Amino acid sequence: MAVILVVEDDVFIRQVAEMMIQDWGHDILSASDAEEALIFLRSAQHIDALFTDIYLKHSVLGGCELAHQAIELRPKLRVLYTTGNVVTDKMKALFVEGTECLRKPYTQHQLEDCVAALLAA
Amino acid sequence: MAVSDIAASDIVETVPSALIVLDRNLNITSANRAFYQTFRTSADETEGCHIYDLGNRQWDIPSLRTLLESVIPHRASVEGFEVEHDFPTIGRRTMLVNARKIFRPGDHDGSILLAIEDVSEERAARVESKRYWQLIQSIVDTIRDPLVVLEDDMTIVTASKAFLTIFGITQAETHGRRVAELGQHQWDVPALRHLMEKVLPENKPIESFEIEDNFPGLGRRVFNLNARKISQPGNHAHRMLLVFEDITDRKQRERDAVSLTNEISHRIKNNLQIVVGLIAYEAKWTAAPCVQGYKAMQARIGAIAELYDLISQSSRGQTVAVDAYLREIAKAMSASLIGNMSGVEIEVKAEPLEIDPDRAVPFGLLVNELATNAIKHAFPQGTGHVTLSVEKVGDQIELIVADDGVGMKDKDSAKVPEKRGSDYVAIFVRQLGGTIAPSVSEGTGTIVRIRLPLLLVPPGSAERVAA
Repeated sequence: MAVILVVEDDVFIRQVAEMMIQDWGHDILSASDAEEALIFLRSAQHIDALFTDIYLKHSVLGGCELAHQAIELRPKLRVLYTTGNVVTDKMKALFVEGTECLRKPYTQHQLEDCVAALLAA
Repeated sequence: MAVSDIAASDIVETVPSALIVLDRNLNITSANRAFYQTFRTSADETEGCHIYDLGNRQWDIPSLRTLLESVIPHRASVEGFEVEHDFPTIGRRTMLVNARKIFRPGDHDGSILLAIEDVSEERAARVESKRYWQLIQSIVDTIRDPLVVLEDDMTIVTASKAFLTIFGITQAETHGRRVAELGQHQWDVPALRHLMEKVLPENKPIESFEIEDNFPGLGRRVFNLNARKISQPGNHAHRMLLVFEDITDRKQRERDAVSLTNEISHRIKNNLQIVVGLIAYEAKWTAAPCVQGYKAMQARIGAIAELYDLISQSSRGQTVAVDAYLREIAKAMSASLIGNMSGVEIEVKAEPLEIDPDRAVPFGLLVNELATNAIKHAFPQGTGHVTLSVEKVGDQIELIVADDGVGMKDKDSAKVPEKRGSDYVAIFVRQLGGTIAPSVSEGTGTIVRIRLPLLLVPPGSAERVAA
């Protein structure tokens, strides 16, 4: 089973996502913003994947910046984005290459499919 | 007959220019037919007459005297000497005079050949043209948007006062220079250059070419460039009018609106995510037979969220374009077709109609429900076509969702999810104030027709903003 770092500023949404992911037997690391996430990413903690919201607190594209920093620290890390906004080409250009974005609202089945594909890659 | 066989006199008589030959004392020895015609005189009145005495001394012109008495004696030939004069017989004329000294064998004094071309009309056209461009310049100076007039070689003829003031340059600094060379080369954009090169030869105007850059003394600005060919009737000279519209404030308002829309969209989606999460949490502790209902509920919430995005993409100011909206719905549904349903194609046929945003969500949910039903039940083999169409019929619009699948004859109408789906269709149709025609099935597919009132804003009363 994998270790997934979930970064989401809305507490309820984050906890429901964690609940869903834990149901499939994975371990969860939880962060509400980029700073908290970077503490995990800079530590020796094993992490398989990052699942991050794009709009983090006051940073409109905070998740995009976080993912690039994460990949610099851990080049083999897998990344999955989520957002409530329309995914524009401009936004896609900021994604780490080869990554996907799950649009909100997502169901547990959509998240399950995305996480399975992410870990299989 | 060879050219060499033609007598010089034949040539003299056929050229359109008026020709006269003077001796050293400026007496006229001969003139050609064009001269007599132009100045309404004859050989008898002309030959042997002193040039200044000809026609009641009408050729006693100070500028001609200068040519004949001061210039010709010192030069073998003179070309393009302009003489403007009021001739009593033919009125005010501008003449272009070419003069050449001719020496025949044995004639040491020589003669003077004068070729006189009447250029009055050309000069009048030139004066008219000058007045025309002066008029343009005065118009140019009254327009608040900065603008320049360019020659066909793209150099600047004139710039408006607004242009000079805004960009802090003088008329002299712009004259003869290309737009691309101005300032810090902000206008040196290949795409703009390419478009500008087509304005004059192809009479192809430039509409709203946007350039955003930092301009000294102005800061960051967005300009909208428009260009047109301008020409004076009857004149072959063409020039280009290039107008710079400062749209910085408008762009900022648009960006603020987009940013606000994104912020609202983010909040709505997060709230819907919370609802979907609550349902997921409930479903976790619910008996298996009920889970399907929870899942269907989540899918419909997802459809509403998706419609918000599609509405924002199809929005034209105060209204939503139905044709663009249907295409976005079809695109989103096609993208979600996976597995054995990937052979189903969704096609859109729609007239350019508009719908007000308040009704766009139930309209989208109605289309979503009908198309989902078709995809789910019409194609057991996993291949086929679904057509979504909208057309105006009188004062109503007709929405048609048609498929070329198996039809409804084999369908078990007692199945609960389908019953619920048709309940939703009835609710959305009622909400939109429409009526549903019975589904038609002839074994080759199913057609559902729904008539809705022209819920849409009457043409012309809506504020239409170009997308």
